[in-house]
Amino acid sequence: MYKIAPITKLALTVFVTIWSIILQSLPALTALIICQIILLAIAKVGLSVYKGIASLFVFAAVLAGMQYVLNNDLMLAAITACKMISMTLVFFILLATTRMQDLSAALVLQCHIPYEYAFMLTAALRFIPDFLAESKAIQEAQACRGYSPQGNVLQRFLSYMAVIKPLVLKAVTKSETMALSLELRGFGSRKTRSFKNNVTLAYQDYAMLFSMILFTSYLMMQIS
Amino acid sequence: MLELKNVYFSYKAQFPVIHDVSLTVSSGEFLAIVGRNGSGKTTLTRLMMTLKKPTKGDLFFQNNSLENATPAQMAHHIGYVFQNPDRQIFHDTVAEEVAYGPKQIGYTSEQIQTYVKEALEVTGLSQLAATYPLSLSKGQKQRLTIASALAMQPKILILDEPTSGQDAKERKQLLQLLLKLHQQGTTILLVTHDMEFLSSCAQRAIVMAKGHKVFDGTLAELFHDTRQLTDWGLIEPVALKISRQLASFHLPQTPSISQLGHTIVNLLGRSDHV
Repeated sequence: MYKIAPITKLALTVFVTIWSIILQSLPALTALIICQIILLAIAKVGLSVYKGIASLFVFAAVLAGMQYVLNNDLMLAAITACKMISMTLVFFILLATTRMQDLSAALVLQCHIPYEYAFMLTAALRFIPDFLAESKAIQEAQACRGYSPQGNVLQRFLSYMAVIKPLVLKAVTKSETMALSLELRGFGSRKTRSFKNNVTLAYQDYAMLFSMILFTSYLMMQIS
Repeated sequence: MLELKNVYFSYKAQFPVIHDVSLTVSSGEFLAIVGRNGSGKTTLTRLMMTLKKPTKGDLFFQNNSLENATPAQMAHHIGYVFQNPDRQIFHDTVAEEVAYGPKQIGYTSEQIQTYVKEALEVTGLSQLAATYPLSLSKGQKQRLTIASALAMQPKILILDEPTSGQDAKERKQLLQLLLKLHQQGTTILLVTHDMEFLSSCAQRAIVMAKGHKVFDGTLAELFHDTRQLTDWGLIEPVALKISRQLASFHLPQTPSISQLGHTIVNLLGRSDHV
């Protein structure tokens, strides 16, 4: 998966989202999820990715449970959960197997998105692990002051403010520092940009894109 | 009071961060853990606070095992002051910020009022009680986090690199504060690689190197062999270098700059200048 061009993986993200919307049967959606997990396994992604996927499954199960309580339709709840898992899993594939610089280059060179917007997207994605680490550090700091979320959902949420508030303040400070640092280094001063990253399509990319278009066309014909 | 017995810790099995460390922290001590960056100093204190669990070995507080203890439970006994104060500050006023810990612990409102007042007084922040905490200077924020820890009435105060990013005046104020707290009976455990600061306040030093405890003793013993200090990535304090140069005047060797100052002035017979 690492050898596939970022634009192909972006296309995969779009196609998987379309397939997840089109497919309505539980076995088909399950097969789509399994295929994506196989792709992740082939890519030999780190343990942290699987931990994230495990959390995704838990979240989807909670959503399915809520839907079952509201609609009393187990099949619909299961299908909705599978659709959500499938659509999210493809982002795990994209982010775990693509370097942010390559994604930026692909968005600018091939999708013709202005560099500022592409940079905004990649910077936001890059900050996610930073914020997770910061959140953990803040929770530890507050735990040393006796923070221990207990009680009902509302009480837990209110006590969680001890983590959220410093995290938001840190995020604002960090983004401000980053903006200043970028400006001081002349960000946006040149209209055109060059990239040293090679994001051009190879044979395997064309083969993958062709297969995806073919499969989507087949699904469309099945619907109509 | 606090005891570590043959403690091991590693993030990855093949790379131990703490390797067979045993030590005891007694009541009323002023102890410093020193060592170069990445030597395991902070990890050791995080184990004491149960923020991390040892992969092997045992920890005891007042003879009770800490195997199942949580950081929130340990907060009743140990005050932990992090290197970065911004990570814990979130209230609108200094007084509210200091009151957070005692509230979490479950003290009564009268107790909270008393403890917050005492903590603000001892840290010299009483005048700033109604100030927005994030508008304070780095040194004041550091004192605020110390006040937050003190308001929980801990038996031990652990400070992780408290002098980092502090100017000379803030450093001096911090030193005076720690000496005052120690005199009042608080057990203090300092994590630092600031040898000048350490030599001005600590009684005992533990040196960590590559996850091993390589030294445990008094400051006089620590500074006895300066070649070892270099091996451990530590620098001997300036006062010790000067007093060594002055050895021909039969002056006692000291790592503390204030003690050295006193000795020299006494030698010159002009004690009114100190």
